[in-house]
Amino acid sequence: MAAFIGAAVGRAVCGCRHGQLSSVGRGLFSGARCLAAERETHFGFQTVPETDKGEKVYQVFESVAKKYDIMNDSMSLGIHRLWKDILLHQMNPYPGTQLLDVAGGTGDIAFRFISYIRSQWEHQIKQKLKSHQNVSWQEISKSYQEEELKLPGGSQVVVCDINKEMLKVGKQKAQHLGYSEGLAWVVGNAEELPFNDNKFDVYTIAFGIRNVTHIDQALQEAYRVLKPGGRFLCLEFSQVNNPIISRLYDLYSFQVIPVLGEIIVGDWKSYQYLVESIRCFPAQEEFKALIEDAGFLKVEYQNLTSGIVAIHSGFKL
Amino acid sequence: MQGNASRTVRSLLQLCQHPPAFPAAANRWFHAAAVRLSSDRQGQEQPKAFDSALLEFLVCPLSKKPLRYEESTKELINEELGIAYPIIDGIPNMIPEAARMIHRKAQDEESKHT
Repeated sequence: MAAFIGAAVGRAVCGCRHGQLSSVGRGLFSGARCLAAERETHFGFQTVPETDKGEKVYQVFESVAKKYDIMNDSMSLGIHRLWKDILLHQMNPYPGTQLLDVAGGTGDIAFRFISYIRSQWEHQIKQKLKSHQNVSWQEISKSYQEEELKLPGGSQVVVCDINKEMLKVGKQKAQHLGYSEGLAWVVGNAEELPFNDNKFDVYTIAFGIRNVTHIDQALQEAYRVLKPGGRFLCLEFSQVNNPIISRLYDLYSFQVIPVLGEIIVGDWKSYQYLVESIRCFPAQEEFKALIEDAGFLKVEYQNLTSGIVAIHSGFKL
Repeated sequence: MQGNASRTVRSLLQLCQHPPAFPAAANRWFHAAAVRLSSDRQGQEQPKAFDSALLEFLVCPLSKKPLRYEESTKELINEELGIAYPIIDGIPNMIPEAARMIHRKAQDEESKHT
């Protein structure tokens, strides 16, 4: 075990964003960037051919799918739930919103979306009742019928994930929790989405874009499938700016998370990849620029928990 | 604290062993709930079928053209490129690598010859 931890720390020092800490690291970092031009990319701190990354990421999520939720809870001490709730509040969907949730295999965003839409709808009905007290029985029965057939206002959420195993877990969860109306599952690649142009009001990707091989292509596809006026929302790990918190966060990431992975899922490597991939993902401003390059306007971000994660938002106008 | 907990557990156990007599109305409610449960279960089998409303959104990821749902083979077909995407457990797999090539023209020609 001690040797494992030692190895992890050793790698951490020469890793991507840690390149900022040491000159050796920086050399490696820029080296990785140069290699990227020769169609290589990073898989955690390893440099792998671009063609291999998808396969490797697939294996990671195939391996962790069944215990994904337990791991998220134990690694983030349940905070990931709050981050996802905040994402929904930022989205503030109304009955009728069409959502595409990419890389949303286990349904965390989709289920929140459905609950949010339902509560919005209930609120609207209450307001209506307040404004005119005499609602006919026909109107009441109609509202119930509508509720049973589909989501209020015809809202729909399509969950698209490249990983079949993650979708399977999500679909089972949906049946268990009683979410079915207005919810669809599709196996698809974020870089070549199987959806028509101008179809969705909101595109979300939560803790997913980091694992995509060509982030620029994924962003272009997001732009394509959104309706004019549609919104891109991305929840992703980002860069901690406070040096003290950053130190503690690094310690936790590299020393605790892979150990938890080994104990809970029996898979050290997948969680080693997880923490490394977080360090390799562009920081807030850099990612903001990438989103703008794809054509989005009014791009903004909000740091959560000292920048451990950030929500980036942009509009197709 | 522990004593309290064990007492509540014990009383719960007793409740399970000797359930109080339910009034007829409650029984009826239970019956209704059971019926609802079984109908829910039927509903759970339905999602295995493909929801054709999805076709409004779905296109071929390669050509971005609309697809045709083939019920007999449970596939989504791009006629132009001759590719069929499988639908497994109601989930369409829209990854080109998972798709099947269909040689429709070749088949047509064969059927003409015979």
